[in-house]
This record gives sequence, C-alpha cells and structure tokens, in this order.
Amino acid sequence: MTGKKSSGFSVEGVDYEKTGGITGPESDNSKANRKKIEKLLLAATLAATLVLPIVVVSPTYLHIIILILFYAYLTSCWNMVGGFAGVLPLGHSVFIGCGAYTSTILSLQYGLSPWLGMIIGGILATFIGVLIALPTFKLRGAYFALATIAFAEGIRVMIENIDYLGPFNLNGPRGLQIPPLNTGFTSFMFETKEPYYYIILVMLIAILTLTWFISRSKLGFYLSAGGEEPEAAMALGVNVTRAKLTAMAMSSFFTALAGTFYAQFSLFIHPKSIISLDLSFEIAFIALIGGRGSIAGPVLGALLLRPVSDFSRIYFGDVLPGLHLVIFGGVLILVMIYQPRGIQEPLTRVYKRVVDRLAGISVDEPGKKVGKSKEATA
Amino acid sequence: MLYFLEDTINGILMGSIYGLTALGLTIIFGVLKVINFAHGSLLMVGMYLAYWAVALTGVHPYLSLVVVIPVMFIFGYYLQDIVIKPIFKAERNVREPITVIIVTTGVWYILDNLTLLVFGPQYRVINDNPLRGKMVEIGEMLISVPKIWGCVTAVITAVLIYYFFQYTRLGRAIRATSLDRDAASLAGINQYKIYNIAFGIGTAVSGIAAVTLVPFYNTYPTVGVLFDIKGFIIVVLGGLGSITGAILGGMIVGIIESVGPQFMTATWTEAIVYGLFLLVLFIKPSGLFGVKYDW
Amino acid sequence: MNKTSFRQTSIGAVAALGLLCLSLGPVSSLAAQTVKVGNIIPLSGPSATVGQQGKNAREMAVAEINEAGGIKSLNGAKLELIYADSESKPEKGVAEAERLINTEKVNVLTGCWNSSVTYPTTAVAERYGIPFVVPVSVADKITDQGFKNVFRIAAKDSWWTRDQFTFLKDLQTEFGSEIKKLAFVYENGDWGQGIAGNWKKLAEEAGYEVVLDEPYPSTATDLSPVVQKIRRSRADVLMMVSNAADAILLTNTLAEYKVKLKAMISSGGGHADPSFIEATGRNAQYLFDIVEWETDVNRAGAAEANAKYKSLYGSNLTGEAVDAYLAMYIIKDALERAASLDPAKIREALAQTDLAQGPGMIVGYDKVMFNDKGQNQFASLVMVQVNKTDNGLERITVWPKSARRSGYSPVFPKP
Repeated sequence: MTGKKSSGFSVEGVDYEKTGGITGPESDNSKANRKKIEKLLLAATLAATLVLPIVVVSPTYLHIIILILFYAYLTSCWNMVGGFAGVLPLGHSVFIGCGAYTSTILSLQYGLSPWLGMIIGGILATFIGVLIALPTFKLRGAYFALATIAFAEGIRVMIENIDYLGPFNLNGPRGLQIPPLNTGFTSFMFETKEPYYYIILVMLIAILTLTWFISRSKLGFYLSAGGEEPEAAMALGVNVTRAKLTAMAMSSFFTALAGTFYAQFSLFIHPKSIISLDLSFEIAFIALIGGRGSIAGPVLGALLLRPVSDFSRIYFGDVLPGLHLVIFGGVLILVMIYQPRGIQEPLTRVYKRVVDRLAGISVDEPGKKVGKSKEATA
Repeated sequence: MLYFLEDTINGILMGSIYGLTALGLTIIFGVLKVINFAHGSLLMVGMYLAYWAVALTGVHPYLSLVVVIPVMFIFGYYLQDIVIKPIFKAERNVREPITVIIVTTGVWYILDNLTLLVFGPQYRVINDNPLRGKMVEIGEMLISVPKIWGCVTAVITAVLIYYFFQYTRLGRAIRATSLDRDAASLAGINQYKIYNIAFGIGTAVSGIAAVTLVPFYNTYPTVGVLFDIKGFIIVVLGGLGSITGAILGGMIVGIIESVGPQFMTATWTEAIVYGLFLLVLFIKPSGLFGVKYDW
Repeated sequence: MNKTSFRQTSIGAVAALGLLCLSLGPVSSLAAQTVKVGNIIPLSGPSATVGQQGKNAREMAVAEINEAGGIKSLNGAKLELIYADSESKPEKGVAEAERLINTEKVNVLTGCWNSSVTYPTTAVAERYGIPFVVPVSVADKITDQGFKNVFRIAAKDSWWTRDQFTFLKDLQTEFGSEIKKLAFVYENGDWGQGIAGNWKKLAEEAGYEVVLDEPYPSTATDLSPVVQKIRRSRADVLMMVSNAADAILLTNTLAEYKVKLKAMISSGGGHADPSFIEATGRNAQYLFDIVEWETDVNRAGAAEANAKYKSLYGSNLTGEAVDAYLAMYIIKDALERAASLDPAKIREALAQTDLAQGPGMIVGYDKVMFNDKGQNQFASLVMVQVNKTDNGLERITVWPKSARRSGYSPVFPKP
C-alpha cells in the first residue's frame, strides 16, 4: 500500500523534475534561493511554536494544542512502521499503555522519577514490539492489521484481570491515579500547562528529525522497498525483515515515551482508555488522513482531525449527542475519497508553489499546470 | 459431564449465531479484499429494522426477514456504490486498499451516532414474541429455543450462500472477480457492479443475523460494537473469505465462551479467545478452514 | 430669591434622582447576570441513557429556579447550564473540565456519573479551585482524595453495600427464612470491582458462604455461561452490579434458565435504568434493587416533581436523576448564601450546606450536610422491589421499614 503510495510519489517527483527541466535548467542561484527560503520558513515555524504559549493564554486551547502535538508525535512513531514499512498496525496503544504503566508503577511504588521510568518503559515496549513483530510481520495486509488488534485487545483483557503482577500493583480495571503532590521537573508534574507543551514539542521535533534521517538513510530505503515489493527487495539482497524489525523496535520505544507523557499529563491511567482500540485507531486515522509515509503527514493529520473532533464535540455534544462523531466520520470519508493519499499531497504542492514564488522562480507556469491537472485527475 | 454437554450445546448454538454475524464480513472480504469495520453497524441497522418490523406489526420475528433482507441488500448495494466505490477507483492499483478501512470506520461512526440521534439511547426488546424466553428441557438440561432457530438459520444461510457462489452464474462471476479482478474485467465482468452486489449480499446476511438476535437480544445504537471484534476474530480463525470457516470459527468461539467459564471467571475466556486467535494466525495464517485468499 | 433657590433645589433633586437612576442602571444589568454551571456527563457512548436522564433533571430544576426568580442574593441572577459530553471516557472528561473552567468560565461544576471519569475530573477542578458537585458517582475514593472542592450528594459505595447487607439481615428476621449462600456477579470495571470488594468483606464478617464470585466483561454478548454458573452454584441470594445492556441480558437469561433463587439484589445502575423494566418485563419481578430514591417516597413535592418530569420527558425520575435535580437546588442554596460568584466563596457556602427543606428536597433523607471530606453525611438509601401492582410492574419501596409503601408486603423468598 505504501509501496503504491511511494511509487505514486516518485512518479510525481519525476514530474516535478521534468517541469524543472522544462522551465529551463534552474540556475544554481534560484536553487540556493529556494533552500534559503525553506530554511527561513522552517526557522519561522520553529520560532512560532516556541512563542505559542505566550500568545495562547487560555489553558483550554493550550490543552487542545498539547493534545494535537501529542497525537502528531504518536502518529510519527506509528509512521515508522505504518508509513515506511507499508503495513497497518492497529494496536499501538499497547506501547502507550506499556510506557504509562511502567513509569507510573515505578514512581508510585518505588518513587522512581518518571523520566527514568519513561526510558525503562520504552525499553520494555521495544521488547514487546519485537515480540509482536517477529511472528506478525510474516502476515500481510488485513491479517497483520487484525493480529495487532488482537494483541492489543488481549493485553488489555489481561491487565483488566490482573491486580498484582508479581510485586507490581496494576490495579486491574480500576486503573492508577497519580496524586498531584510534588510538582517539579524531576517528578514530571507541573502546575501549569506550558512545561507539558515544551516537553511534547521537543519530543515531536526530535521524532520528526529522526524520521527525516530515516527517510534519507539506507534503512528508510530498505523499508519502503520492502513495503513496495518485498519479494523483489529480498531478491536484491535487502534484509527486509531486519529492516522492519528495526523500525518496529524504534516505533514501539518512542510510542512508549508518549505513554509516560500522557500518564503525567492526565495523572490517571485506566486500561479501557489507554490500551483502547479507539486510541490505536485514531493514530492510524491521523496517519492516513495526513498522509502515510511522509514526514509532515502526521502533523498535518493531527492538525486537521484533532480540532474537528474537539470542536464538534464542544459545539454539538450537548445539543445533539452523537452528532460530533457523525461529523468526524464524515470528514474521514470525504478526505479519503478526495485525497486518498492524505492532505499532505495538495498541501505540499501549495507549499512548493509558495516557496517558488518567494524564491522568485516565476517561470514555472507549466509546472503549475501539471500540478493542477494532477489535482483534477486525483 | 451433563454440565459439559449443556455448555457445549449452548456454545455451538450461540457460536453459530456469531458465525452468521461474521458471515457477511467474510463475504465482503472475500470479494473486495477489505475488512469492513462498519460491519457491526450494519448488524445494528438490521436489528433496528427487524425490531421495528416486529414491534409495529406484531408478527413472528422471523417473518421480518421478508423486509429485512431486501432492504439491507439495497442499503449495502448503495453504500458500496456511493461511499466506497470512489476509493476503489482512486486506488485501483492496490490489492488491499487500506484507505477503505478508514472509510468503513467513518461509516461505522456515522451509522451508530445517527441511530443515537434518531432513536435515542434506549434499549429495546420485543417482549411479546413467540420465541422469547422459550426453553427446551431435556432432563436437567435447558436449551434456548431462539438460539436453536438462530443456529438452524445460520446453517441454512451458509449452505444457500455456498450454493449461490458455486452454482449460479452471478455467484461464479463474483468468485471470478474475487480471484482476479483484472482478468474478470477482461472477461467482460463489471468489477464495480460485482462489488456492489457482494457488499449487498454481505449486508443482507448481516440482516439475517440481526433477525436471529432480535428475539432474545437488546437493540440499541452501539450494539454492533460488541459483535465487531468478535466478527474479525471468527473470520480469521475460520479463514478470511471462507463460508464454512465463518460458521465453524463462530462455533469455536462460542464453545470457548460457554465452556470456559466453568473453569475460570468469564473475563478470562476473552483472553483465551485472543490467545487462540493469535496462535492460529501464526501457525496457519490462512485460518483453520480457509484456503489461501479464496473459496 | 426663595423661588430661585427652590428651583435650584428642585433641579438638584431631579439631577440627583437622575443620577440615582443611572447608578441603578448597573444594578439592573446585574440582574441579568448569570451563574454558569458546567455539567460533564456521558451524552453519547455506552452510558448515554443515564447521561440523558441527568440532563433532563438538571434542566427541569434550573427552569424552576429561574422561573422562581433566580438567585435572589445575586439580584435574581439566572442559572445557565453548560453541558459537555464525556462519552464515558476519562480523558474526554478531563479535557472538558479544562475547557469549562478556562474558556466557559463556569462558576461551579457537576458530573460525571462514571466513577472512572469523575475521579480524574475532580482533580482538575481541585487544581483550579472550582467547586465540583457530584450528584452520583459512587466510588469511595472520590471523596477520599482529600480534595477541598468536591461535594458528593449520593451515598458512597461502602454505604450501598453496607445497606444491602443490613437489608439482607432484616429480611431474614422479618420472614424467618435463612440465607446462607451468596453469589456475586458484577461487571469487571471500576464500579463493579469496588462494590464486590466490599461485599466480600461484609460476607466474611457476617458469616455467609460465598459460592460464586464472578466478574464478567460488560461487553459480553452471551451471559448464559455466567447464568449457568449461578444456577449450578445453588446460591440462595444473587447480588449483582451491572450496566444497562448487561443488566437486561442478565435478567432475561436468568429467567430463561429458571434459576431458583430466594432473592436477587442489584445495585442500581443498569437495573435502575428507565428502559430496564420495559425491556425485561415479568422477568424482573421480585428483584430487589438499592436506590437513592423512588417515586413512592413519602416526601412533600416528590410525587409532583415526578409527575412533571414524566410529562416532560416520558419516564419516571430515577435515583440518579433526582440527585442531579437536587444538585441544582444545592448549588442554588449555596449561591444564595455566598452572594458571590467567587468560587472560593461558593465552596465555603457549599461546605456549610444545611438543606432540609425547599422545592429540591424530594429525597428520602432529612437533610443535606457535607462532612469534612465533602460527602453528604445524611445520604441514605432505600431498597425497592419490582412487583406487579394495579399500574403494572412498579418499583416499590420496601426498606427501611419506616419508608415502606403502606399496604405492601415484600415477596420473599422469591416464588
């Protein structure tokens, strides 16, 4: 599937190059210009995100924004497997649960700082991830998706049935509450929302950078090759399974970190909400709506879907119960029908055009036309 | 021993109804190669249809099949035609378009919550129907009559569907499309029409399952969710796309759920079902009774 | 001279009057002021029926309060209800609490029915110092967190179980029929586990034999295996905690399998759902349920309130709905005494609540007073029995004896 997607992309990439060719060999000057502008835009975005909490004073909106970043982060982690490796995992909430439970239990029972628990939870999740991946990666398409669902649900059922796992108090279906006692950096607990915002922002930037590196590395190439044509890739001597396992290990490790963040942010974890299919599904929705296998996709997807779900609940939740989920479902369907490769595709086009305009490359009228006609056929 | 027999019988009866709920899913997967996440919601729609048909006319619950089957077929046909087909067209090169999963999930959210908006959250049960609460007593053993009806219906439906696909022209065309849609298109079969029909049949079968549930079950907006995950498990256990597999897979789940609680609390049987599911997936991914990807 | 001075004074008087009018202006605009009451309840998702009941009851109470002139100490300020849908999910409840407090600027919060939602959500209110009135969410821990801003009207689950066991004892003395073996069947969640934990302790203390201790997933599609276990356990009394869909399924399946029990005792929730009796019909006959309130309660205004509610929303008031109804009157009472919209002052007033009379007090107990943990110490419970009367199947108060509907004798053991 991603295979298809990335091949679609490469076709488009060729188109762009061609148009570049048609518009005349781009001068090094304008290329450098474009690079410069892209850098400037990146810096501006970064600066904007840094000062955002100063502008957004309302904790409500900050809360919503934090959750957008949280979901963008989760989806970026998911993207390493679901996007680049071309499978559809629908059980990532297991890793969130793993991170949340590990750090919470360690801090509640042994007074360990959640920051340390976060790392331990991540390592544990890596093991679980590899354990799940070893047999499931043999499965294809729907089977893989269903297997991951069954794993996640099975683990949720187990946790709901277990009060004590050895010395660790899981508290079964009742969940764990973190008492808001000592706030501060080491206890990963803050009075205000700003620290949470900066923490998740740093996490998101880190994961985006990592994804960027992966997509340019051998690993990224192996992954997308394996996703596209596993047999062919294997014939060429690419160890697809190993590449996928590496991706899964990284993905589960970083997903678990988000689990700890969530536990510390909401101060209450509970198997039904943290290891839930809803959460796993939402991550996949964001990825597909944003654009699987692209770096910006998860961020764009979260930017679209989270506000849709939050604001429709706020405005319709009381008057017409259920309408907000009807709207959410409608958005999912419409985006998938009109942009099956996610909203990153048209947005990337717009972005490129804007950069070109800013870089002073005005000669690319044919390029625009190609872009438009593509849009029409898509 | 008697207990064991009693529980096994209940497990088989209830399990065959689970199998029937999963049958629609497996038909749709077999042809479209897509997991239909809206499948529980289709069941729910069928239950509301059957509920209102029986509640308003007071007829025998199974007479509502006359309304439910055609209405559900048309509903499924046009759902696929209007909502899902555009994506197939956009992603025609992909064997298992994952985007369709998202769309069916969107359909699930919309159907469940529209029902909540229209009918409210109430639980509805048809109290005065000839099947309600009827039991057969064999010595100490008690067997539920509506479940026997359900089991018989499940078997009949499965057999009819099987023969439809094996021996009718349309059924064969559908099978041809499921095996190789490009070749089928070349042979002059309209792929998308076949998809519509297959989706319609799958939906109609969910309607039949709904009719078997209505005599002894509650009808409410989120009832489908309970059967959603169960349906996926059954279908994979039996082999995706396999008709006999769906019914037998359903029975296996039913027996585990029914016999298991005699040895542990009911909450653990859920975990056992998931465990078995994963075991089958790893040892024989094509399912217990499935042939790889076709019938 | 005199005349001019008179004119001057009269002009002065008119001017003064005008000024007075002007200064009264803001007062009259004060009268249009509103008190925002935020309500976080499940309006969609699995507990939507209960959420809807709570919403109806709140609306009825607030309409009455506003018609009667609003909050008099605040110049007739009106109450304004703002709802948020929790979907029964803790994280949604928390997010909505943040929004209601920060964006909607609510003065007081109520909710959330699901204990698992109320628990983390009250923590948000505590952090911002916004008073949080919990009409009903039974988990003990909600008022055991040491929070200063949480006030619970309903009894907590250790009281529910305590009363269920007292009732069991009284039943045996009254009818001279002995109960030995108990079976516990409960939904595997926060609520069911909490109640069952208390049951086990109480059963041990009272010397009952527990023959079955069975949690079940509330998403179960078939409860006949659980019912078979109950049947084979040969228990005298079955005690249950269920949500709505499973309560209906469980009751119907019990009847189908003709399980012989001396009594069935449930714990509200699903068994008190308005659609429960309709959906189970005769199968629910003789069931004992513990509730906070019943339509036949002997209390001034209760019958009228119920009649009004029924004409407006088509079903009887449930215990949960009455708590929500009362919550609005408790908030009104506190606002009257606080004479301020300052959350801290409202909190103080709530802490000193001593409400015994008034239109909202249609509950079975004498008054509402919160202890230092915020628990209404007078909250009490009644046991009802579902039985046939001239009006069809009804819930009839049977315990405590002082509250029993006159002329009714409970049916025990179950025929």
